[in-house]
Amino acid sequence: MRRLRVQLTVLLAMLGLLVAAWGATIFLGARNAALLNASEQVKVSRFDELRRTTIDFEMKFVDAETNQRSFLLTGNVDARVRYALARRRADERLRRARALALAWPALLPRIDRVQTSYVKWAKAAEAEIRARDRYGAAAASIVVGQGASQNRFTELRIHHTALDQVLTGLQVAAARQQHSTYQDTQRLALYAAVMILATVTLIFAYLRRAVGAPADALRSASGRLAGGDLDTPVELPVPNELGAVAGDLEVMRRRLAGRMEALQRLRELSANVMGATSLQGLCNVALAGLGPEVGAARAALAAVDQRGRLQLRALSGFGDPEMAELIVKADEEIRAALPLRDLYVGQVVGIADVGDLARTAAEPVRELVARVGSRSLALVPLVSRGSFVGLLGLFWSERHPLDQEQEALLGLAGNQIAGALAAALRYEEAERAAGEARAVFYAIADGVLLTDPAGRVTAMNRAMELLSGWTEAEVRGLPYAEVVPVEEEGSIPIRPEARPLARAIATGEPASDQGYGVDLVTRDGRKVPVAVSSAPILDPGGRVVGAVDVVRDVSREREIDEVKSALISTVSHELRTPLTLIHGFAELLVLRDMPVERQRAAAEEILEASRRLARLIDDLLSVSRMESGRLVLDPRPLDLASVVERILSPFRAMATRHAIRAEATSGLPVVWGDPDKVDQILTNLVGNAIKYSPGGGEVVVAVERLHGAGNADLVQVSVRDQGIGMSPREMGQLFEKFYRVDRDEVRRAGGTGLGLYITKRLVEMHGGRIWVESRLGAGSVFSFTLPSRDGLVGRGSR
Amino acid sequence: MKLLIADDEPSVRSLVHVTLEGDEHTIFEASDGVEALEVARSEHPNLVLLDIMMPKLDGLAVCRAIKSDPATSGTVVIMLTAQAQDRDRDQGLAAGADDYFTKPFSPLALLNMVERVREARPGPGGAAPGRW
Repeated sequence: MRRLRVQLTVLLAMLGLLVAAWGATIFLGARNAALLNASEQVKVSRFDELRRTTIDFEMKFVDAETNQRSFLLTGNVDARVRYALARRRADERLRRARALALAWPALLPRIDRVQTSYVKWAKAAEAEIRARDRYGAAAASIVVGQGASQNRFTELRIHHTALDQVLTGLQVAAARQQHSTYQDTQRLALYAAVMILATVTLIFAYLRRAVGAPADALRSASGRLAGGDLDTPVELPVPNELGAVAGDLEVMRRRLAGRMEALQRLRELSANVMGATSLQGLCNVALAGLGPEVGAARAALAAVDQRGRLQLRALSGFGDPEMAELIVKADEEIRAALPLRDLYVGQVVGIADVGDLARTAAEPVRELVARVGSRSLALVPLVSRGSFVGLLGLFWSERHPLDQEQEALLGLAGNQIAGALAAALRYEEAERAAGEARAVFYAIADGVLLTDPAGRVTAMNRAMELLSGWTEAEVRGLPYAEVVPVEEEGSIPIRPEARPLARAIATGEPASDQGYGVDLVTRDGRKVPVAVSSAPILDPGGRVVGAVDVVRDVSREREIDEVKSALISTVSHELRTPLTLIHGFAELLVLRDMPVERQRAAAEEILEASRRLARLIDDLLSVSRMESGRLVLDPRPLDLASVVERILSPFRAMATRHAIRAEATSGLPVVWGDPDKVDQILTNLVGNAIKYSPGGGEVVVAVERLHGAGNADLVQVSVRDQGIGMSPREMGQLFEKFYRVDRDEVRRAGGTGLGLYITKRLVEMHGGRIWVESRLGAGSVFSFTLPSRDGLVGRGSR
Repeated sequence: MKLLIADDEPSVRSLVHVTLEGDEHTIFEASDGVEALEVARSEHPNLVLLDIMMPKLDGLAVCRAIKSDPATSGTVVIMLTAQAQDRDRDQGLAAGADDYFTKPFSPLALLNMVERVREARPGPGGAAPGRW
């Protein structure tokens, strides 16, 4: 493309030639003219001389003729002298004219004719003069009268006049010729000028067309480009370097416009990806933004999980759902096939032919590549704040090697997407954490309530719903103190500002109310003893943005506590009462003189109190062993009827006011039990029957077989008395620890309140059941069952 | 001097009775709270020995009733109880009891205490002794 230079060179050469030609023309013309003028000048001056000479010649020969005539007439000698002088001069002129006329051959005959006639005239004139000299005046007049010389003279004049005319004609012709030469030169100059003008115009026009206009166009185009106008195309259909420059400018413009567009898309992409909160959304947005840019039809997004492993998280553009499954399944193998080292340092990797990648990969990847129908792949590493957070894969159906521009674009886009991915992952993590917190919140067994800094409820868990009787939806936005009002002992409402939650909000520190006597008032007015602890919810700046109130239902603890307290109280009472008697009576025996019978009574009191104390200690130990699981049965086969007989005999001996008897049906099965414990059970029940029938009466122990469900045959033992009996209310807690029926007769009978509790536990340890039927004042029936030996098979025992 | 022993445990009543007999005291007994309050109101004893854990009405309630009734408020009330915890003692004193005896107690200490009450009496008229 050196056309412009060639063109200019040609143009200059042409100009040079033209100038040269013009110069030559001028030079030659001038020289010609100069040459022409010189010869002409000579000719003219000769011609002029010739004419002057002929005219001079005429004047001389006329003068000679006049003087000859005068001499002839007068004989004056002077005239004759003048005549001779004029003749000489005329001869001289004629010779000169003859010499000059040699240049014009055409004139020669004329001059010769003049010469001839001159010579004739001269001879005649000479002859007349000689005649006069010889013959005198008269003779001269006769000769003159003859007129010989006169005629000759006239002839001479005619010829001379003819010559003169010819000369005049020649002079006119010469003048005419000279004029014509000048005109030629002038014309030549004019032509040259016109030609030069035309050529210059041509050159100018040509230059203008070839250089000027394109240069202007280029200038304005470059001005537009510099001014940022990338929309107007640069068009310059000139087939030279300028045209080529324009072409380059146009390419540049297109590229710039393309980049601007790409930047614009990148900005849009950036805005869009930032809006995506899910990874699938992000993948979709990335494909929508980048796909048209680089021509990719599908995208896959992988993210680094918390354990630092790259995990496929989203696919876009894969219409085939099975494909997604396949990709997920081959996740590990795909990862192994990726050039992770390059990706980790943030380099975009283009794989023009996935076949190449697949060749060295594991089987599932090859299968996938065969099926996926994508030829090319670009892997865009997503690096956010210097750490590799994931990978975007773009897929092309056709072969598509990445060019540098696309690589750069993908790299830039990768940065944007990485930021969004990191944000999305953080969001996901936050969501997960929030989900966990929510799950914990709702699953926690204590009532939990969240409020805003003003103490209005924002959330409430199930336990709190159950505890308070409200539902979360009903109370959201209400002041928490209205939802879960609390009271101190004595039903005094606790002011909201004194509650832990208000304190937590006010101080920014956790607070609690663990003391006893705080009751929650439920929606239906029940009072539930609670322990309340609260903590402020702080934002990262340490400002209180809410509070959490944890309300624990401590009714069970309170109950246990009360039971424990009552137990201690009871045990203390039961221990101290006999001890008081022992101490008191012993001290009296030591310090005071008393009659013997009084001393004996005191000693009996001491003895009875000691027994009572020993019994109590035994019972307490039994209870303790049973409750801690250390009491172990040693079961064996028992014939219950004979056991009952053995137990009853000492009672019969002691209880004189009671009729004690056993009733046993025949064919009783053998039962399975610990002999000592069964003894204890029977002794307790029979002892109670006697103790609580102070008026005497019948005590019957009945043993019978019960045909229970299935093969579990039972033996039932009932102990029936005719004693004081119990009201239904009194029976309610009969089998509980330290329970004593609150009645004088009972109190008088003494007891630890542990007998029936121990009895029940023993029966249950044997796999049996105990219950009571009674009416106040009409006696009681205590019944229990023991499994037969058959029924115990496979049941096991403690 | 008139004395009332309120305890649901007959043996304890018997112990107190034996301890105090011989001096010229009139001794009343009650086996529950209601009975104790009745005797206190009807007999105006100078000294009441009150068990706390009693049927029908506990000793604390009896004590409060005696001390709040102007007719009986001059009676010296001694709690005589197996409830040995500090809380019980505080409750007893809060109910207006003049002293608190924990079981087991020494009969000699009881005698000394009764003697002091008798000496603190302003006169045989049996007017309210106030704090002794």
